[in-house]
Amino acid sequence: MHELSIAQNVLDIVSEQCARSGHTKIDSVNLRIGRASGIMPDALIFAFNAIKSDSIARDALLTIEEVPVTGLCNDCSGSFIVEEVYILNCPVCKGNSFQITSGREMDIIDMEVS
Amino acid sequence: MKVKVVTRILEANERIARENRRQFDNAALYVINLMSGPGAGKTSILEKTLTLNTGLRIGVIEGDIAGSDDAERIEKHGAPVVQINTGGACHLDANMIYEVLQDLPLQDLDLLFIENVGNLVCPAEFKVGEDIKVMVLSIAEGHDKPLKYPLMFQESTALLLNKIDLAPYLDVDINKIKKDALSLNPNLKIFEVSCKTGEGLSAWTDWLRENALRN
Repeated sequence: MHELSIAQNVLDIVSEQCARSGHTKIDSVNLRIGRASGIMPDALIFAFNAIKSDSIARDALLTIEEVPVTGLCNDCSGSFIVEEVYILNCPVCKGNSFQITSGREMDIIDMEVS
Repeated sequence: MKVKVVTRILEANERIARENRRQFDNAALYVINLMSGPGAGKTSILEKTLTLNTGLRIGVIEGDIAGSDDAERIEKHGAPVVQINTGGACHLDANMIYEVLQDLPLQDLDLLFIENVGNLVCPAEFKVGEDIKVMVLSIAEGHDKPLKYPLMFQESTALLLNKIDLAPYLDVDINKIKKDALSLNPNLKIFEVSCKTGEGLSAWTDWLRENALRN
């Protein structure tokens, strides 16, 4: 829902880092977005493309690696990867005491500059 | 040429949230980020909380897309209040809070409520420097909400189930709301309240006082 403000944060961060590295153009940006982050990759790419035109990222291609939801069960000590965005029970023992270990990421990994 | 960035996208927001946190700590202030969908009763709960004798000095930051109706309602109860208009943004972020902190007498308060924009999705994603998040769900919104909007239930320390006086007129399954909310967040503290009848509000304010004074 707030993909536009996330896109603005991405654009601010990569523009600043590109300028600091002494380059003038960003060719691509790679993100890692968790499936339970509440961010829709298509909407984020759409928003980024909409706001990049007046920046040094005007030709940048945004790519997103999605991170699945993984967890660790406190009851059976099992670790799991699930297809769902949210889970209520450990898929192994059905217990409801577990920690989510990945899936909430919203990270910028790297970018190509020239 | 490839440049490693490895930065959290919301790092700027988190940095400002930490600065807000520092100001709150300096004033020994307990801060609650109050969240719900539109119309669940956040402002009514704040008005009732201000009316009941908590012994706490309470201030309020009101976040809305537009208008100052909520701040005017709070002001009538004599509490220091600041209205933020997000101008369309679906949530409050740390910088919006940072900008208005100078307008509140932080040193003279025990408890600050930050009433977020009415929205069950985005406010849960953005830290503003709060101690805890508290959410309000009115039972008229339906018993499917915890599983449809899980993040807010997972992030909250307490859930106020408001408009409980409407239960006889609705087909809502309150036990399902509580069961699903606790599955998402086993430590969630749940209060059944009614701003209309006053039911359950003293349990809420007792808990509030205990938490704010322990700070």
